[in-house]
Amino acid sequence: MSLLTVDQIVSGYGDMEVLHGVDLRVDPGEILTIIGPNGAGKSTLMKTIFGILTPTAGAIAFQDQDITGLSPDRVVRLGLAYVPQVENVFPSMTVRENLEMGAFVLRGDLRERISRVTELFPVLSKRWKTHVGNMSGGERQMVAMGRALMLDPQLLMLDEPSAALAPNLAATVFERIEAINESGLSILIVEQNAKDSLRLSDRGCVLAAGLKCFEDTGPNILANEDIGRLYLGGE
Amino acid sequence: MLSRIPQLLFYGLVSGSILALGGIGVSLTYSILRFSNFAHGDMMALGAYLTLALIPVAGTLGIPSAAIGPLSFGPRFIVAAVVGMACTFVIVVALDRLIFRRLRKAGRITLMITTIGIALSMRNALQFFWGPQPQYYTARIQLAIQVPRLAIRVKPDQLFVISVAVLLVALLHLFLRYTKTGKAMRATSDNPSLAQVTGINTERIILWTWVIGASLAALAGVLAGVENKFITPELGWQMLLSIFAAVILGGIGNPYGAILGGVIVGVSEEVSTAFISTGYKPAVAFGILVLMLLIRPTGLLGRRS
Ligand SMILES: Nc1ncnc2c1ncn2[C@@H]1O[C@H](COP(=O)(O)OP(=O)(O)OP(=O)(O)O)[C@@H](O)[C@H]1O
Ligand SMILES: [Mg+2]
Repeated sequence: MSLLTVDQIVSGYGDMEVLHGVDLRVDPGEILTIIGPNGAGKSTLMKTIFGILTPTAGAIAFQDQDITGLSPDRVVRLGLAYVPQVENVFPSMTVRENLEMGAFVLRGDLRERISRVTELFPVLSKRWKTHVGNMSGGERQMVAMGRALMLDPQLLMLDEPSAALAPNLAATVFERIEAINESGLSILIVEQNAKDSLRLSDRGCVLAAGLKCFEDTGPNILANEDIGRLYLGGE
Repeated sequence: MLSRIPQLLFYGLVSGSILALGGIGVSLTYSILRFSNFAHGDMMALGAYLTLALIPVAGTLGIPSAAIGPLSFGPRFIVAAVVGMACTFVIVVALDRLIFRRLRKAGRITLMITTIGIALSMRNALQFFWGPQPQYYTARIQLAIQVPRLAIRVKPDQLFVISVAVLLVALLHLFLRYTKTGKAMRATSDNPSLAQVTGINTERIILWTWVIGASLAALAGVLAGVENKFITPELGWQMLLSIFAAVILGGIGNPYGAILGGVIVGVSEEVSTAFISTGYKPAVAFGILVLMLLIRPTGLLGRRS
């Protein structure tokens, strides 16, 4: 049984259709990377899965439950967490408050969850009271991922987690993603420069011009010369 | 002329307290609902008139009207004011359900014009029921007390106005800083789409915004009545320019900025009367507004986008 199933999704902004019928499947425990050029509709797909955009056709199911058209504040309760590509933190709030907001739908004590997140991102524990708006891009990305993990989701959706990060920071982020995945979480990643991401992925697929045009295992995609030339910046 | 300044500073603190309470609502509405509410002043007047109407009702319930200590009003007035605040937010929430809810996706201009329409209707409704002439909360006259060593004269009612404002600002701070709903409000103002992604129900946050903003507006209207000794349907509208100046000075969208801005505008307006004619008071607010928009449009505490 797959965890997330996207079936022939058509979606976009107002009259502008961006996705023209996309299929996607995420299996339990796997990392799936979506690659594709600028403007292909990768972020649009993520937003549609999470309910920020409502699809005009098609269906989305999570754990066999139909979530098509469900609003984000309902989707998040089902065990999906999403880190948007941009503006993925609350800048005027502290690191701790950002993490607390991640667990907004939960009641009760958050200390255990917070300490679990800080084990993954130790840098955060020294910056509790820092306003996230004053942090560097890399630190913000950690806060954003930490926030999403507070809910202990079953599927983590990351939109370009390494974009705009220095190479060494991007490596750290990928290393963390692998660690998170080893704890059993499924991860759906969107990446533009996706070699690092594909290397740790079970599967990958290519989205171009609003259609999924290719799908294979991570290593096979990396080995595919055409895709390498078209989407991975050549050799 | 300069000898009057301590006294004027004190008056400035009194009117600044009222502006701050009014400004908080404008700021919260701007940061959460993303529009400038030109009906906010008239929500203040609405609160002041509802309180006026509730004083006799509180009387029939047997709540004593005898003044508390040196103040010019008693428990009856205080109960009326608290219930008046509640009635104000109920009406404002109803207006949100009836009007603003349909316009959640509308542009700023549409919303701004809507608030102007509501402002006019509200003010004219007040005038229809109570007439344009001033109404009085109490006929009691209160004498100012000379404060030893400071060259100022202070009325107990004025100290009451300042204390109530300080108390409510402190409560608001605790609410925003430490409660789950308060944090969710800050999160929504920071990044509305991310707030939704974390599971915050935006409609509930909007409800809280109106409840807090309208209650504090009503309170500001009542306190303006206590300070001026009378209320008119124009009461809030007349203060709106100063309130917007305060909110923009402090940094629009930041409730702490509204408080700081309120005090600065209130003090500047009063102190200016030592140098220029009282008739120019509104020009002072306008001057601050224009100056701020020219040099630092994000305001003193505003964040750069
Ligand atoms: N909020 C929006 N309103 C209208 N059109 C939008 C909006 N966001 C994106 N688009 C358009 O939708 C198309 C797909 O955008 P999308 O952000 O999904 O691309 P992407 O694959 O994520 O690209 P990138 O790699 O640059 O992040 C683009 O043509 C873009 O201009
Ligand atoms: Mg994108």
